Amino acid sequence: MKHPIRFDASRRLFLQQASAMSALCASAAPLALNLSAMGSAAAQAATDYKAIVCLFLYGGNDSINMVLPTDAASWAAYSTVRNQAPDSIALLKDVPVGGTGTSPTALGGVLPISPARNQGRSFALHPAMDALVPLFNVDKRLAILPNVGPLMAPTTKAQHGSTGHPLPANLYSHNDQQNTWQALGPEGVGVGWGGRLADALAATNAFPIFSSVSASGNAVWLSGRSVRQYQLGGGGAIRMGADSSGRIFGSTAVADAMQRIVSGTRGTHVMEGDLAAVNRRAIDAEAALRSAMKPASDPLFGTAPASGSYSANADPKLRYANFNGGSDFNALAWQLQVVARLMDAAGNAAVGARRQVFFVSLGGFDTHDNQNTQHATLMARVAHAMAYFDTTLGGLGLRDKVTLFTASDFGRTFTSNGDGTDHGWGAHHFVQGGAVAGGDLYGRFPTFGTKNANNNGFDGSPDQLGNGVLLPTSSVDQLGATLGRWFGLSDSQLLDVFPNLLRWDTAQRNLGFMRA
Amino acid sequence: MPAPSTPGLAAAWPQRIWRSALTLSLAALVAACGGGGGSTSSVETLAAGGGATDTTAAAPVVEKPATRAEAARFLTQASFGPTDADIDTLMAQGYAAWIDAQWSQPWASHRATWEAADAAAKAAGDGGVWQTGVANSFWKQAIGGQAQLRQRVAFALSQIFVISMQGSAVGDEPRAVAAWFDMLNTQANGRYRDLLEAVTLHPQMGVYLSHLKNRKADPITGRVPDENYAREVMQLFSIGLVQLNPDGSTKLEAGKPLETYGPADIAGLAKVFTGFSWDCPDWPDNSCFHWGGDPADPDRAWKPMAGYPQYHSAEEKTFLGTTIAAQGRGDPGASLKVALDTLAAHPNVAPFIGRQLIQRLVTSNPSPAYVQAVATAFAASGGHLGSTVKAVLMHPEARQTSDSAGKPREPVLKLSAFLRAFNYQSDSGDFKVGATDSDADALGQSPLRSPSVFNFYRPGYVPPGTATAALGLVAPEMQISHETSAAGYVNFMRDVVQSGVGAWNATLQRRDLQADFAGELALADQPQALVQRVNDKLLGGRMPAALASEIQAAVASITLPVLNTAGSNQASIDRAKLNRVRTALFLALVAPEFAVQK
Repeated sequence: MKHPIRFDASRRLFLQQASAMSALCASAAPLALNLSAMGSAAAQAATDYKAIVCLFLYGGNDSINMVLPTDAASWAAYSTVRNQAPDSIALLKDVPVGGTGTSPTALGGVLPISPARNQGRSFALHPAMDALVPLFNVDKRLAILPNVGPLMAPTTKAQHGSTGHPLPANLYSHNDQQNTWQALGPEGVGVGWGGRLADALAATNAFPIFSSVSASGNAVWLSGRSVRQYQLGGGGAIRMGADSSGRIFGSTAVADAMQRIVSGTRGTHVMEGDLAAVNRRAIDAEAALRSAMKPASDPLFGTAPASGSYSANADPKLRYANFNGGSDFNALAWQLQVVARLMDAAGNAAVGARRQVFFVSLGGFDTHDNQNTQHATLMARVAHAMAYFDTTLGGLGLRDKVTLFTASDFGRTFTSNGDGTDHGWGAHHFVQGGAVAGGDLYGRFPTFGTKNANNNGFDGSPDQLGNGVLLPTSSVDQLGATLGRWFGLSDSQLLDVFPNLLRWDTAQRNLGFMRA
Repeated sequence: MPAPSTPGLAAAWPQRIWRSALTLSLAALVAACGGGGGSTSSVETLAAGGGATDTTAAAPVVEKPATRAEAARFLTQASFGPTDADIDTLMAQGYAAWIDAQWSQPWASHRATWEAADAAAKAAGDGGVWQTGVANSFWKQAIGGQAQLRQRVAFALSQIFVISMQGSAVGDEPRAVAAWFDMLNTQANGRYRDLLEAVTLHPQMGVYLSHLKNRKADPITGRVPDENYAREVMQLFSIGLVQLNPDGSTKLEAGKPLETYGPADIAGLAKVFTGFSWDCPDWPDNSCFHWGGDPADPDRAWKPMAGYPQYHSAEEKTFLGTTIAAQGRGDPGASLKVALDTLAAHPNVAPFIGRQLIQRLVTSNPSPAYVQAVATAFAASGGHLGSTVKAVLMHPEARQTSDSAGKPREPVLKLSAFLRAFNYQSDSGDFKVGATDSDADALGQSPLRSPSVFNFYRPGYVPPGTATAALGLVAPEMQISHETSAAGYVNFMRDVVQSGVGAWNATLQRRDLQADFAGELALADQPQALVQRVNDKLLGGRMPAALASEIQAAVASITLPVLNTAGSNQASIDRAKLNRVRTALFLALVAPEFAVQK
């Protein structure tokens, strides 16, 4: 974000002013759906549909237990370091499922996968991720990106230890690294790269409010310079205030007054104007989506109940197998359900979207303790939700149009604190979709070392720092640029969004996991 | 050496911060220049005050509110919402005396309230009150409690020192969470150092940030201590990530923020937080450490954790320039004392905690002078939180209004302000509001149920793409403001206004919390007077005329039938009157003018 803005500074200023003005003026026309359209007037048009979905794993996923190297040397180091009292978090291999529960023994062995280029090693997934194995091995719609993390420049272990080599700010801090994954800088940086990809292509959409959509709270990844995120709950857009007849307390006049009151301000306070703008967007977007989106009970997305009204909680498609022989509701799958419903409606005149970015998330990954119980459940949810999404997109004929990637605050320590792990840096991630050249690894898988007698610096590995934390070999910028190129951005646009990329050789700026 | 710094808010944003300073109103700048001296001198009198509450009340700029509107505004900052009675009291006592008197107000133990409700529920065959009992006790004190300032400050502290019942292990111990809230109530008028110790040793914090049962390193196998609490106690509960000037601005060196700690400090401090676990009758038996003993103390979930020498690291511990020498046998108490003394003495604490208290009570974007005055009060009083809160509430900037001063109201505080203003009563006496988590059909916020230790929102949150952001301002509460929560709030308040709030009472066939609206119904045939009354109670009489006339028109649009000669249409007249009152209340509650505490 330190690079000068190469174009349209005056237009951006105008937009900011327009935004502030409209936020402050109660009488403005229904601008909410259209406002950010001005921001992309110069961008190129597109006639096809493409979407990128960010699946954020809040808390810092222990990807060391998600994708595992199973060759003898790696496995020995892993098993030695992670088998600590009182509760070993070292997963097992080549063992049968040992009953119910989430201990490594109960889970059974890790699940082998067969990358096309195996780097002379062998690999497996967490035992709870069986739903993803065929996606990787057979369907080849799933790729693995080993050891990705925020970097300012390519960084060796020696460079990391030297002064003067640029490093990301506030490493290991949850909020700052969440922000850095999403917006390439620590908390306070307010423009995310998903939003900037949408900025570049929002002009191709009829209503840019639907360019950038969160099914999970506010996420800076979705905020561009002109594009703002629209928030959509799992159940779909919520009608504000009025009943289905457009009344409040039995009165349409009150309902009309409510709409005018919430969506404007008669005062001059800046925050009132901003809150009014959110209200106006809520009203306008719901009106547009009310009839455009198919219901969740449509067999494309869910399961119609035998009787009564649809309950996401009871929909078997949204439930994953827990570790006690039963099933539980998967809120992440529910988020992806509403994402799929909106994608399905993209061609509807009321939505009119050709390029969209989406954000979904799952929390609970900060597994400092009790990791065996927590992490296995999280892995099962992620795998179930991703498989549900792949199946649903298949039904919609959208697999080739949609690419999902995982992100997280950071990876975790290789070492164990007895029953959990601490904050790390680099982490393995998934990319999923029909346009992904799946069934392969993109990036060098790290070498695992062990603690030596004198320190905890993992001197034997070029890829590990103190506590065995992974020093990333691929950067968030490279990941984002690879996705952005597929989305339709030019090289110069990508460099504008990902300025750190200039520190990588041209050939390295594309990680190569997209087919075209 | 640290270079001269830019005044401001967050580390990486000197430019934004500089612009932020420019956007302060002229009045605020005048106050920042001229008002600081008076404010500073007023807190210097606290320097030798010991643990006692300050009663000197030196040189406040305004002794008593000049108008009921001003009193209402102050009570919005210092309580869960103004009531007519509190306005009367404040106008009689003046600000300083009211603050001092507040600390003497009685307050009911949340744990005792929870226990009584739980016992009653079990006696009735309901199985218990679980987390709902914590929420209800909060609302009981927030709406009906006398110790408004203490409870409001404790609520603020609960958003700085965060545990959350959304964490499953904490959520399973609601009685202990009620005790945690009691601890915050107690410490709200105590010393920061004592608060930090109570927070650190509370077993629910130990569960939440996983230092309960954390064990020393095993050099042979390579096991390392859990670093969770060591990191977050520094980042969130004491000093923050970057070095601060006393006015809260970031210290810079060669244009870059200076970090307060690095990985080595965390590794050193993590050794301190080893060897703490349940209080236990058989202490220090190993079984106590692991399971709390057999039988375990039934109060172990809230009694301060005990130190277990055999699990505490005896290694040398270095952090923040302090070294604890290697111990012959692990001495958890001695290590903890040094660690907490070191943290509490760090110069960052005063501006770091002070600024967040300002943000929770008064304004999202205090000027550097305001932060400095509060930090000075903190430091001069030896970290006394009551004195610090008084400095927050008494600063001239807390009295000023501008187009950017103030803050978005927290959703919980919107509801509490409404329920207090209109004197809602609980049929059960238990104030069974229950959980209000859902952003789709409730408030999107429940006390003590934030999504993570980073609270519902961050102190430095900048809402992307907004006019607020364009002015370089932060608005923490807007981190939970989006299209879903916006619609969810409006629908929830419509429902509250129409039907009351809380658990269904099958006997009375209504929700637990109700208002009679007698005063409003008496004005139902006078839309202007009705709206004025709502304006006075909810917006301190500061509703813009255009909003008042919009609401009046909506009220008037509901026709009041004329009583027929037979008198047979009284019910429809009453219904229309009630709908007029509901309309006036509802439209005021959803107006952006109400949503911002100015």
